[in-house]
Amino acid sequence: MKMRFWQKTYIFTLVLFLVCLNVGILSLTVYTYRKNVEATETAVIAEQYYVAMSFERDYDYLTETSAYSSPSLLMQSFGVYYADKGLFLAFKENESTIYSSFTNEYEINKNTLLHTDFEGKRHIVISSEICEGKYDMIFAKNVEFLDSEFRSLMFTYGLTSIGVSVLLAILLYFILKKLSVPLEKLRKTTEVIESGDFSVTAEEKGSDEFTLLARSFNAMLAKINEQMAALEREAENNMIEAERKQMLVDNMAHELRTPLTSIHGYAEFIEKANTTEERRLIAAKYIVSESERLQKISQILLDGAFIRENEIDMDDIDLGTIITDVSEKLQMRAEKAGVEIVCDALPAFIKGNETLLSMLFYNLTENAIKACSSGGRVKLSCLGNEAIIEDNGKGMTKEQLLHITEPFYRTDKSRSRAEGGAGLGLALCKQIIQTHGAEMRFESQIEKGTKIFITFTRRQ
Amino acid sequence: MAKILIVEDEKAINDLVKFNLELVGHECKQVFDGESGLTEALKFKYDLIILDVMLPEYSGFEIMEHIEGTPVIFVTAKSAQQDKIKGFRLGADDYITKPFNIVELVERVKAVLRRTKAYINYFEFDDIRVEFDTRRVYKNGEEISLKPREFDLLEVLINNRNLALSREKLLRLVWEYDFEGDTRTVDVHIQRIRKKLEIFDRIQTVYKTGYRFEI
Repeated sequence: MKMRFWQKTYIFTLVLFLVCLNVGILSLTVYTYRKNVEATETAVIAEQYYVAMSFERDYDYLTETSAYSSPSLLMQSFGVYYADKGLFLAFKENESTIYSSFTNEYEINKNTLLHTDFEGKRHIVISSEICEGKYDMIFAKNVEFLDSEFRSLMFTYGLTSIGVSVLLAILLYFILKKLSVPLEKLRKTTEVIESGDFSVTAEEKGSDEFTLLARSFNAMLAKINEQMAALEREAENNMIEAERKQMLVDNMAHELRTPLTSIHGYAEFIEKANTTEERRLIAAKYIVSESERLQKISQILLDGAFIRENEIDMDDIDLGTIITDVSEKLQMRAEKAGVEIVCDALPAFIKGNETLLSMLFYNLTENAIKACSSGGRVKLSCLGNEAIIEDNGKGMTKEQLLHITEPFYRTDKSRSRAEGGAGLGLALCKQIIQTHGAEMRFESQIEKGTKIFITFTRRQ
Repeated sequence: MAKILIVEDEKAINDLVKFNLELVGHECKQVFDGESGLTEALKFKYDLIILDVMLPEYSGFEIMEHIEGTPVIFVTAKSAQQDKIKGFRLGADDYITKPFNIVELVERVKAVLRRTKAYINYFEFDDIRVEFDTRRVYKNGEEISLKPREFDLLEVLINNRNLALSREKLLRLVWEYDFEGDTRTVDVHIQRIRKKLEIFDRIQTVYKTGYRFEI
């Protein structure tokens, strides 16, 4: 049988209490009864004493006044007289009965007191010597009221016991039930939680142990909720990460398949087609240019992998020199596009890798030139540990700025491709920046231009 | 043979499709972004549109939603199943993923055109007329009797004219199964067609490749 805590408490408390109660009342009853018996005995002894004294007095008087008078007559008159008052008397001389108002012969030792039944009624019997030991007087008094008194005492006791027990059972039931209400509530709360709803809390009212338990329980619940939220966030992040990776793979597949399709297609065309010499030449040129593009993508991917996988040597280098070199290298390219390139770089020593930083500034400056139309202007500058690349080209939207450092992202797909880009440049730049523990920040406005800030941590 | 619009932002791929479709006699118009693709498709009547999915301005799917009645074949690197399903649900007639090979492209174009357009059911060259629906061949007005496989072979060669087809490819296209064994079957049938129609120059043997019907 499954019992709740409060039910167990109820049963044990009730049993314990009832045992104590009954033992108590019973002892009290028995004690009262004993006292009654004692008092009755004392009264009976007094009465017997009085009878014996009266008899001795009358006996002395008789023996003094008439020598021939029979003591048996006196005994008879006493016996008859007291028989009316519910007393039995018997007189013995040397073990032989002289007179008896008892219906039957009754034997009893000298000088004793005992309780006995006569004709089914309770009597106290006293035997004593009288007249200086000449006679034995046996005295018996009906005390059946003691039995009825005992019965009435027991009845009262039983009634009290039952009454108190019932009252206690009822009161205890309600008290314990009420006390266990918070526990029951807590249990119900745990059931709700078990069914998967973690948003509930246990009630914290009062200051008893149950409230303390509820408080601890709520604290635990809060902790669990926190952990679950953290897990959910992590799972979500993993999902986002997985999606991002999938997108990267998709983009990569696209970037690789496009040149591959061209190379394969044009090779097949040259091999199989019955066509003009001019078209064969175009096909061959496409094969060359698309192979170069593939080469470029793989180079960037390899560079990226190299930066990721290898320890990069960091030296004390002059940022100003690197920027000046890059601007000189791109001078021709800029002139061709009709873009003016300005360099304003003072020496600034930082810790870094010269090759990677050249790659970084070359890439960013190249992008800046591409963003400009003819007549545009690109400005490279460096002050302290901050380098700025600024152009007045077409600019980017906020949405574009968010994505530009993602691999294979292009702000202008067709144009960038036509210029041979793969959408990997800025992803590589970001990697170089990270390797240097530097920061790259973009400011851009559509049709106004873009400004890139690169901040290095100072040389130690 | 058919007027085809090619919408593909990658110039190399666009040219590749154009060169190959022109080889087999189609007339091609090239556009390089979604917007002009849509304008072009709505302005003129084309027999077929070859459509890239990832395009600047409008995506191929977006363009697809605005075109009615013109058959479309998607050409894209997106090979994911959902994209294919999406393409077909929008009413695309076929889907080619990059990288593709020329014969596959030409065959799919032919298949879609045959399904959707009043198919040109004859082909004439020199003094020969080939009727595809009745499966008869005439030379100077006189019927030449060709066996079924010979006719199938001639039809495949004409459909892929100016393109060299390997013996294996021909086996697959004509006999319709991957024939590992005897490619000499193809040689024997080619010889018979050449002899029966007396067209020794038209069907060229391409060194180390196969055969090409040239016109």
